Formats: sequence, structure tokens, C-alpha cells
Amino acid sequence: MSLLHVAVIIPFLFAAAVPFIAKLIRGIHAGWLVLPAPVILFVMFISRIDSVQNGELEHASIAWIPSLGIDFTVYLDGLGLLFALLISGIGALVVLYSIYYLDRRKEAISVFYTYLLLFMGAMLGVVLSDNIIVLYGFWELTSISSFLLIAFWHYKEKSKYGALKSMLITVFGGLAMLAGFVLLYVMTGTFSIREIIASAATMIDSKLFIPAMVLILLGAFTKSAQFPFHIWLPDAMEAPTPVSAYLHSATMVKAGIYLVARFSPVFAGEALWFWLVSACGMTTLIYGSYRALKQTDLKGMLAFSTVSQLGLVMSLLGLGSAAAFYDNAADSLFYTKATMAAIFHLINHAVFKGALFMVVGIIDHETGTRDIRRLGGLMTVMPITFTIALIGTFSMAGLPPFGGFLSKEMFFTAVLSITKGNMFNLETLGVLFPIVAWCASIFTFVYSMLLVFKTFTGKGKLEELSKKPHEAPIGMLLPPLVLASLAIVFGLFPNMLSYSLIEPSMAAIHPGLLQEGERFLVSIDFWHGWTMEIFMTMGVIAIGFILYRLHARSAALHSPLFTRVSLNGAYDGGIKLLDRGSRRLTNLYMTGSLRHYVIYIFVFLIAAVTITMSRESSLSFNFNDFAPISLYEALIIVVLLAAAIAVPFAQSRLLSIILTGAAGYMVTLFFVIFRAPDLALTQMIVETVSVALFLLCFYHLPKLKRENVKPRFKAVNLIVALCVGAVMTVVALAASSDRPFESIADYFVEESYNLAGGKNIVNVILVDFRGFDTMLEIVVLCIASFAIYSLIKLKLLEDEDEGTPLAKRKDIAGGLIELPRSNDVILRTMAKPASFIILTLSIYLFFAGHNNPGGGFIGGLMTAAALVLMSMAFGMNTVERLIPINFRVFTACGIMVAFLTGIGSFLFDVPFLTHAFGYFDLPLLGKTELATATLFDLGVYMNVVGITMTIITTIGRDK
Amino acid sequence: MSIAVGVLFTVGVYLILSKSLLRIILGTSLLTHGVHMLLMTMSRLKTGAAPLLGHKAESYVDPLPQALILTSIVISFGVTSLFLVLAYKSYKKLKTDDMEALRGEEHE
Amino acid sequence: MNNLLVLPLLIPLVTAAVLLVFKEKIMLQRWISTFSILANIAVAGAIVAQVRNSGIQTLYMGGWLPPYGIVFVADMLAALLVLTTLVIGALCLFFAFSTIGKERERHYFYPFVQFLLAGVSGSFLTGDLFNLFVCFEVMLISSYALIVLGGTKDQLQETIKYMLVNILSSTLFVASVAYLYGATGTLNMAHLSERVAEAGQGGILNVIAILFMIVFSLKAGLFLFFWLPGSYRVPPAAIMALFGALLTKVGLYALIRTFTLIFYTDQAATHSWIGVMAGITMVLGAIGAVAYNDIRRIINYNVIISVGFIAFGLAAMSEDSLDGAVFYLLHDMLAKALLFLLGGIIMKLTGTHRLDEMGGLIKRYPVVSWMLFISALAIAGIPPLSGFAGKLLIIRGGFSEGNYVLGAISLASSLIVMYSLIRIFMRACWGEEKGLYAAEERDRKGDWLMALPAAALTVIVIAMGVGSEWVFGLVAEAGQTLIDPSIYVDAVLKE
Repeated sequence: MSLLHVAVIIPFLFAAAVPFIAKLIRGIHAGWLVLPAPVILFVMFISRIDSVQNGELEHASIAWIPSLGIDFTVYLDGLGLLFALLISGIGALVVLYSIYYLDRRKEAISVFYTYLLLFMGAMLGVVLSDNIIVLYGFWELTSISSFLLIAFWHYKEKSKYGALKSMLITVFGGLAMLAGFVLLYVMTGTFSIREIIASAATMIDSKLFIPAMVLILLGAFTKSAQFPFHIWLPDAMEAPTPVSAYLHSATMVKAGIYLVARFSPVFAGEALWFWLVSACGMTTLIYGSYRALKQTDLKGMLAFSTVSQLGLVMSLLGLGSAAAFYDNAADSLFYTKATMAAIFHLINHAVFKGALFMVVGIIDHETGTRDIRRLGGLMTVMPITFTIALIGTFSMAGLPPFGGFLSKEMFFTAVLSITKGNMFNLETLGVLFPIVAWCASIFTFVYSMLLVFKTFTGKGKLEELSKKPHEAPIGMLLPPLVLASLAIVFGLFPNMLSYSLIEPSMAAIHPGLLQEGERFLVSIDFWHGWTMEIFMTMGVIAIGFILYRLHARSAALHSPLFTRVSLNGAYDGGIKLLDRGSRRLTNLYMTGSLRHYVIYIFVFLIAAVTITMSRESSLSFNFNDFAPISLYEALIIVVLLAAAIAVPFAQSRLLSIILTGAAGYMVTLFFVIFRAPDLALTQMIVETVSVALFLLCFYHLPKLKRENVKPRFKAVNLIVALCVGAVMTVVALAASSDRPFESIADYFVEESYNLAGGKNIVNVILVDFRGFDTMLEIVVLCIASFAIYSLIKLKLLEDEDEGTPLAKRKDIAGGLIELPRSNDVILRTMAKPASFIILTLSIYLFFAGHNNPGGGFIGGLMTAAALVLMSMAFGMNTVERLIPINFRVFTACGIMVAFLTGIGSFLFDVPFLTHAFGYFDLPLLGKTELATATLFDLGVYMNVVGITMTIITTIGRDK
Repeated sequence: MSIAVGVLFTVGVYLILSKSLLRIILGTSLLTHGVHMLLMTMSRLKTGAAPLLGHKAESYVDPLPQALILTSIVISFGVTSLFLVLAYKSYKKLKTDDMEALRGEEHE
Repeated sequence: MNNLLVLPLLIPLVTAAVLLVFKEKIMLQRWISTFSILANIAVAGAIVAQVRNSGIQTLYMGGWLPPYGIVFVADMLAALLVLTTLVIGALCLFFAFSTIGKERERHYFYPFVQFLLAGVSGSFLTGDLFNLFVCFEVMLISSYALIVLGGTKDQLQETIKYMLVNILSSTLFVASVAYLYGATGTLNMAHLSERVAEAGQGGILNVIAILFMIVFSLKAGLFLFFWLPGSYRVPPAAIMALFGALLTKVGLYALIRTFTLIFYTDQAATHSWIGVMAGITMVLGAIGAVAYNDIRRIINYNVIISVGFIAFGLAAMSEDSLDGAVFYLLHDMLAKALLFLLGGIIMKLTGTHRLDEMGGLIKRYPVVSWMLFISALAIAGIPPLSGFAGKLLIIRGGFSEGNYVLGAISLASSLIVMYSLIRIFMRACWGEEKGLYAAEERDRKGDWLMALPAAALTVIVIAMGVGSEWVFGLVAEAGQTLIDPSIYVDAVLKE
């Protein structure tokens, strides 16, 4: 935890505190509470200048996620300091300005300042942190806070539009940058910038080097609004003017510049880096300046001018990177001039553009419009504002004696000297740089003039304005005044910057160029003779003046060049396409038709399995594992398949149900043959009950109408079905073919009697070896029964279907009001003994279970069957009078018993469900074994009875 | 045997792909039968006596799959009955058992 | 032997059984469920602690040694998932108190939730393949019950689809178990791992692996997610949150478990499939997330995206990516739960699920609005929130494994995620006040009660992000067992 950490954290602390304090102290404008933050920071950073100048690198670290190599490490070198000063300095002025700009009665100012402080802290974090992941975090936070600030007036559609646009583009860039960072990590194994720079040499020949570079540049270009990603900046002007002045001209948009500068030690020297950065910069420069000509909104004009100026700085950094190409210091230093120009212009731009934005803010504030066509002649009413504007624009246009003049001269020097270069095939293309630069400066000159003179001179149309303009309050004028005077100071005494700030920053951008003790020569002299640069400047002024005169007349200068194709159009189209297209596409496959979904699934199944199988060479199929099929089996198989295949053709509902039932019974017979008596029993009873259920439920469903559908429909189904069947068979054959291992089952065969005291292995497995499964299995049943209950009983009021008249509804539910209560005398007479027999049988089965086929489940089902039979014969009410139990509670008790049996083992501190057993003599059942398993089985028994009865009765009684 | 399983699956799938809800449910129960027989197949088929230690036999059939099948039978019984009731209920409410008519409002 | 392991399953079961008896006594039901789930959370915490201190815990059901009996295994992954599940369950329960409504409460809502939790915990803890199937069924059948609870038209027709798809996958599950048993003759996962490694995966085993992949993908909504957006949209918010946060994750867990423990030897044949599916899932999910105007759908498609992303972590199969997958899994459960709850609140306030019919919440409901904003950032993986560390790990692992395409897709998709969620924020919270709450003057006493669980989750999400280092300590331990299955195997089969 160092002072630098504090510096980053201070704004966040303020951001957290301000809303609450502002609530307490209603009297004053929240801005006054905020102002200390940037001021303190500014002072603090100023005090650092000397130490940084002497090359002492201050850094400190707080561990955040060390295991991932992510620590909150901050450090302060020339570059960092430069930006930190910009952020805090301009920040202070902007806050002061905003106090007079935002009305605390009308606006939610505390929110505004929270956002602003969030941004300030994030931005400081970006320029101070050494760990690129932390840097990324702050980077995204700047995007987010900018998003919030742009949409400060969120009831305006345009604000929302601009906010979203800026966020999408910058966040996109951020993600690209993150990818680049991760690639850097993959190459170097660290997230620390300084370590990465240290190991830069090792990366050059990695195949990830170029991708990483491009991705990081994407981040930089999007943030710094480089062509073609600049489109978000003009729309960001929806934000309150202080925000535009602060984020969108002075600081945030320079984050990209910072990134490029920060990473040039890594990438500089690559031809691609040189070309991408400088060319992209140049394009942005010319494009932005040209577009700026055509704006009628003052802020729009400033926005495009910012775009172009950012391009200028970017290109200079690109040119400067040429220095890294040479290994002898002399040539290198020759090119570092570009870097120097970049830094110097960065500062100048921050100064004059800040001033101009504030001026525009004042105009907007005082006149109620920013439309250049409605303005004019303000010079008389607001002279101070005019003066500031004059200084700002002249500096921007690059006229002496302002800072802008010098940086433009240096810019020319740079582009001229690059033509002498003999690498990156500059011999051929190098000459483009001066030309573009020159044209761009002309445009710059022109729009600067337009900006100041169209607004302030000429015949005033003041009376048409919404409000009566007059000079702004002093608090609003002070910040731009400061900046304007700085513009002059930097123009006259550039060297007060050059050693304090520029030189250390260059040291950060071009490490290793200098030997120990050496310094960059950065002295900037105001007049350096009749050089090429001077003549170029004169040319700029001359041509610029003519163009300014022509501006009103020639459409090429004031009306947009092409209206049809525009990058904005592309963006909007893209978003629209995203919304529309995505929906169309999604609806294409999300049809909501169950059949389609099922088909997708099966087709994927078939495809996946077949592909995998075709890949596998070592598949063997066996057909001999099965004993020769005897006549019975053959018969059963035939019947089974016959029944199954017949189902689809069955026309009546009843028939198809019965056929399915038949198939079920055939399966039962199978189990008999394959030595699985328990299965046979269970299967039989289950089959019976479920057939009963089927009939019960579908008693009143419509006749299965012949599915008159296109043959295609059927064909598809058939093909899919056949394929699935085939796949399952083949896999089955292959799976049973080679059996390298012994089944664990043999263990059960050996141990089940000795350890579990049961002769019926299957049952022993069920209640003991795998008793846990059984426990859950009855839970499933139980849930099912309750689900059924609440499904039928619960009718939410909002959803009573009043569609059908009562009569009709009764007719639907009709048959289900009660189970068909038979009057058949035979049945009624037979029922009593029958059900009695079944009951006793069920009890027998229950106890037999452990050694012979049977068990709780089967017993339970039997009992239930008996009860059902009785209720069929005598009607439900009778039965309920006989057995006055709430079956749902009965069920609950059932599973309870089962659980408790298991829990019992806790008392003896043995694993859950551990068994114990012994033998007892019970009346009429003879020598019987009572194991905890039996108790468990009892639970099962109760449960099953309860469940079955619940199901049957609920359905039966549904009204 | 495996063939039989295959056929059961085929028919089951075919039914599931049809429109009528009833058919679909029947399809699922056929599938279940198929799976159970598959489990049987996967145990060594009838090479040995029933897994009842009572009758002395030198080898028994693999009892484990039987246990699994039993569990599975019970579970699928529960699920199927719930499915049935659901179908019945939704028929009462939605007045159709044609799944193609129950696409729901996917489109907006 | 450690009976603690069965409690996360047993407590809910017993609770449910008790609740079943007190059908009409709603307040009593609430108290019981609250109490039981709190106790359960304590147990889960204890288990995590035990695993941390003394390694993997096992419980042999009925004292039958593996591979013969059923065994419960708590490695760090399972333990953490159980804990997270229960925390989410508790908060959703609390949310339900104020939103679910008398009628549903009277019709066994609380027991069903308990059953669901039991099923989920069981699936995480069991070390036996068939028992996994059974636990799945417990979970599924309670989910059927919950999703249809209320029986509105929408619910009915979507439940039919949901049920059928799940029945199919369960059938496939049993079939696959059958095949695997046929080929290896065992059911215990650790034992399977041994035998598969011994036999050398390949031949039929790969085919079976693919079958399992399909089964679990169906549950997880990985590529085969068609059933998800429709069916998760019909039940009330509390249930939606439970499903979105838990169910798909169980499927993912099963995928991770089987493909790190059992089928890990021939990754070319299996994991490449998962990778491809992951990619497609992310793309389709992203496309779906921006397609609709229905807040519920947007959220559901976000669920799908994250499933794909986690699967990518599994497919890359490096230590980084697996750690990342675990980390992101935990984060996603919490963050998605939060998102669903917020969605529920918003829908309740505005009385609509259409974005274009709502707006301006931020004026009267700033807290809810900002929670929505934060959750959006967290899910988009913005540091220092919970989503970031996992995302970074997965991408890092992916890149260093050379999975550039998938890495790119995931980053792109997280942009879309941000877009889709911020869109909800802009439409619902900004602009003019629109919707039910604006129309009528409703009493806002209950609102804070409704927002409380969401607030708790927001805190957790932030804490988890800031405390990533601490969380990572646990996650790394989980990842260790995944990257080196022998740890798990030895822990289970040691005599």
C-alpha cells in the first residue's frame, strides 16, 4: 500500500462518499465536495516531477490474485506521470467548470460526480498500473463510466444511442486487447508490463507475436477513436459538455495513445507496427479534419477535430517507432524527434481542446444553441469568451506564438525526416506522409477559423436566440482562461515542459536507446530559420485562407461528400441485422415443435455414433454369446415384435394400448425364461397397473384419428427410427463382444447369503447392497404421486379455463368422476374373496421377499391391486369407509420408515443403511428372518400402497 | 436378442415422432422395454440358474442387471404415470393431443 | 466412513417427508424448510472444511466396499457444488416466500423444492454410475412437478416437451450404463476409471463415451439445448432461478466428472467433440440472446452461452482451463441465480416480460437497477467481479492449448452477453417510467423483502470476485483431482 495506491483509490473513496455527504449538506453544490480530490492528486503528482526526472522509478504492489499472476502493482515513470498530471489537472478544472454548468436544483448532480470520480480513478489506474490484467480492468471501467456519463440524460433516446454505441465499440476493443494480453502471457509467462518489456526480445520470432500486436492495437484504436472506429466519438457528444471536455478530448480517448506508447518498447521496430500505427494515424488525421469542416454543430466540429488530432499524435508515435529499427544511437535519435513531437502535441491538444470545449459549453449555456448557422456576432456580448476561443483556435490551427504552432512545426519535421528513411520500404511510400500532413493542416486551419469567426464575428442574429446571451459567470470562465494562458506559456517557453515531462516520457517510450547518463536532447527552440517547415506553414495559411473564403460557396467543403454509404450506416445496419437476423435465424430452428427437437436429438445421436464407430478400427461383433434360441423364445420374440410393430398401425386408442400391454407381458415372459422371477413378477404387476392407468386417463380422449399426413412426414420418421434401432443394435453387439473383465456380480452371488442373510440375490441387492438406489427409487415414485395430485388438484384462479360450457366439461371429465362402478353381481361376489386372497398373497410375498421372489415393492403393488379391485367392485366411498386412511400421509410415513431404518445405523456409528438381521419364529410364517432390510422393505411396502392408491383415487375423483 | 432390442427402439422412436400424444407415450414405454431387454442382454444371458441361492446350482445368471432393471422399471413406472396424467390434464385444458398444435408462442 | 456425506441428501428428503404431512400449515412449512436448509448449509460447509483438511471423503453405503456397494464421494468439486447449490436454494426459497403465492405453497411447493435439492446434491456426491441415474431421476421428477406446478396452458404444453426430452435422455442413460456394464462389468466410477484405463479407451468404449456425452449434453443444454429456452420460461421466477442455476449445471458436472475421471485417455476421439459442441453452443446462444424482446428468453440464452463456455474449459483439458471451468461453474450458478431473481423482480414490478413495455425503474428502484447492472458486468466477466478469474483461466488455458478459435468465440460471446444484458438495463431501468408499477400506486412494503435475496447474491458475487485468490485456493484443489484422476480413484478404492 503506497501513496500511488492511495492516489488511485482516492477518487473511488470520494465516489462512494459524495452521494451521502451531498444528502447531508444540501446547501452547497456537490461539486465543491468533489473538487479537493483532483486538486490533491495534482499537487501530489507535481511534487513527483523531480524524482521522476532523475529516473527514480517508484513502484509498489498489493497482492490480489497472486496465484494467477495478478497483482495490483502501480509504478510511476515519465509517461505515467504525464498522464496522471493531465487527468488530475484537467479534472480539477472540469469539476470547477461543471459546478457552474450543472444546475444543482435541476440535475442529479451527485450521481454525475459519482460517475465522474469513478472515471477519474479508473483512468489513473490505467496509466499507473503495471499489471496488464489490472490495467484491463480499469480500462473497461473507463468504458463503463463513460457509458454512464454519456447517458447522463438517459430519457433522451440519442443519449442512450450514443452511450450504447461507445460502449460496444470500446468494450469490443477492450476484449481484443485482453486476448492480446493473454497471448503475451502465453509467450512470456507474466502479466507485468516491465517484465514483458524486459523479455521482449525473446518473443519476436513467436508465431503469436504479430497477433498479439494487432489485438492490442485494436484496443488502442477503438479507445482513441481511430478510423474506422471513430464513429462513436461524435455521438458521445450527447454527454454534458464537461464530460466531453474531460473524457472525450483530454483523457479517456488518449488512453489508446498511452497504450501504444507503453507498448512501443515491445513492438517498435516491427514494420507492421510502424505501418499500422502511422498509416492509421494519418488516415484518421486527414479524414477527421475533413469531416470537421462540414459540421454545423460546434460540438460535432470539435469532436471530429479531436478525432483528427488523435490521429496526428498516433501517427507521430508510429513514426517515432522507426527509431527502434536502428541500433546506432545517432540515427535512432533522429527519429525520436517524432516521439517528442507526439508528447508535446498531446499536451498542447489537451490544453487548447479543453479550453475550446469549455467555450462551446459556455456558448451553449448562454445562447441555448450550438448550431453554427444560428450563431454569430457574439464577440460584442461575450468578449472574454471570444478571447479564449481565439487563443484556442489559433493554437489548434498551428499559428504562432501558441503551443500548437510549435508542435505542428515538429510534426512537419517528423514527416519530412521520415521520407529520408530507408527501411520499411519508405523510399517509395514515405513521400505520402508530408503531403497528407500538409493537406490535413490546411483543413485544420480552415475549421479552426470557421469555429471562431462564424460564431463570434459577423452580423449577430442574437434576437433569434432562445435566450438573451451575456458573458458567463467568472467561475465558468476561469478554467478555460487557465488553459488558454497555458497555451500561450507553452508556446513561448516550451522548454519548461521539455525537460520536466517530455524527456522522462521519452525515456519510458524508448528505453535502451540511451547509455547511462545520456539524455534525449529535447530543447525546443521557437525559431529555427527559414526551413521547409516554415514554408509549409505559410502555404497552409495561404491556401487555408482561400478555402475559408470559398467555404460557404463550394458544396464540397460544407456538405457531406457521400450520404448513402457511411460508417455510421454500417454500424446501425450491423445492429439492426444483429437484432433482425438473429431472430430470424433462431426462429428457423427453434420451431417449438416437439417433433423437430426430437429429430435433432436423434439425428445427432446417429451421426455422432456412426462417425465414431467408423473411426474405430478395433470393433468386433459377437453373435455367439447367446445360447441357441429355443422354440419358446423364438415364439415369444415373434409375438413381442409382432405386438410392437402392430402398435403404430393400430387405429383405435384401445387397441394400441392393449398391444403395448401385450408387448409388456411378452417382456415379462422373457424375464421368466431368462431366470429373472422377481422381474417377471414386478413387470407383470406394473404392466397391469399402468395399462389400467392408460385406460383410465384416455377413457375420454378422442378416437385416434388416422394421421393423414404427407408421406414425407412418415418417411422421415421411419428413416430416423430405423437408424436409431440399427445403431442401438450394432452398439449392443459390439459392447457385448469382448469382455476383458469379470463382472463384479460374482461377489454378490458368493456373499449375499453370508453377509446379507438373503437367498434371493436380486432382492438382497435391492434392499441391501444397493439399498440406497431402492430408497431413492421409492422417493421418485412418491414424488410422482404427489406431483400427480397437485397437478390435478391445483387450479390457479387466473387460469380457470372458462372456454368450455359446463356440460361439455363434465363430459370430458365425465368417466373419471368415479371408476366405472360395476354392478356385475359375479364381480362383486368374487371381489371379496379375491381381494382377500390377493392381500394375504401380498403379505406372504412381502415376507418371502428376502429368500424367494417377492419383496416389499411387489407386495405393496399387490395390496394396492386388491384395493383397486375392491373399489372397482364396491365404489370408492365404500373402500374409504373400510380403510379410513389418507393415503398421502400413509406414503409420507412409508418413506419415513425407510429413511429411519437407514438413519438407525447412525446410532451405531456405522455407514448409512448398514444392515443387521436375525431369525425369529413367527406364527403361520414359520421360521422367518427379520433383518433391518425387512423394516426397510416395510417402508417400501407402505409407500407403494400409498402411492398407488393416491394416484388411482386422485385421477378417479378428478372433477 | 439385440435385434429384438433394435426393433423395439425403432418402433418406440417411430411412435415418439408421431403427432398424437398418446402414441408418443406408448412409444416411450416401448423404449423402456427395449432398454430393459438391453440390460438383460448385457448380462450373460441364461448361463446359469435363477439367482436364488435356495436351489443349489453351480452357476447363477448375473443378478446385478436384474436389480438395475427392477429399479428402472419402478422409476419409469412413476415417470410414465406422471406423464400420462400430464397428457390427460393438458388434453382437458388445451383441447388437443396433437403435439404439432402445441408449438407454443416461440415467435414474437 | 463419513456419514456426513449422506446428509446433504438425507436432510432434504426427511424434511420433505415431514412437509408432506403438513399440507395446509404454510407458515410451519416455511419455518421447517428454512431451518432444514440452513442446517444443510452448515453440513455442506463442514464437508468442504473436511475435504480441505483431510482430502477426499467417502461413505460406503451399507458398509459395502466399492466396487460392490454404492459409494458417496466428496472431492472438492462435489463439495463446493453442493455448498453453492444449497446457498442458492436457500435464497430462492426465501424469494419464494414473498412471490410464489398461497396456492402453490398449499400444493407441495416446498417438499418438491427439498426433493429437487436432494436429487441435485445426490448427483454431485454419488460415485456410482447407476446411482447417478437414480439421483438424476429424483431431481428430474421433482423438476417436472415444479415446472408444471400451477398448470397454466403454457406450463402444460412446455412441460410435455421438457418431460419427453428428459425421458429420452434418461432412457439413453440407462442404455449407456447397460453398454458400459456389458463392456466393463462394473458400475463404480473409480473402478470404471481403472478398468477403462486398463483396457485402453478406444474401440467400443469411445462409442459408449459418445453416448454418455450425448446424454449429459442433453441435460446440460450443451448443443442439444432446444428444449431449454421454452421450458425454463414458463414457471414463476423462484423456480426459474432454481432451474437455471442448478439443473443445467448438474449435467455439466456429470460431463466434467465422466470425461475427466473415466473417459480421459483418448481425448482426440471424445474431447474434440465437446469442443466443437461448445463452440456451436456459444454461437447459437449468443445469437439467441440478442434475438428476443422477452426478458426471460434473453436470460435463458445467456444460460446456454455459459454452458458452452464451461464446456470449452473441459474440452481444452489443461490444468488452467479445468480450474477455470470449476471457478466459472461456481460463479455462473450464483450469477445466473441473481439474474433470474432480478428478472423475476422486474417482471413482477412492471407486470410484463416484454422489454418494450417497461422502463424507468431506476428512479424508484435504484437498488434493483444497479444490482442488475452489476450482475450484467459480472456475467460479462468484467474484473473485479466473480466472472473474471474463471474466464481468464479458461481463455488462458485454451490459448496455451492452441484453441484459438474457441477462445475468440468465447470473447466475442462475452461481448454479446454484455450487449444483451445491458440492453435489459437500458430498456428497463432508463427512460420514461413504464409498466405496472408506474400505472398504479402499489404499496412497496413487500418489495425490499423480495429484493433481499438478490442483494445477498450481489454481495456474494462481488466478494467472490474480490476474494478470487481465496476462492481459487479451493478451486485449484478441485482442479487437481480433475487433472489427475488417480487421486480420486485411490481415495475411493483404497482398502
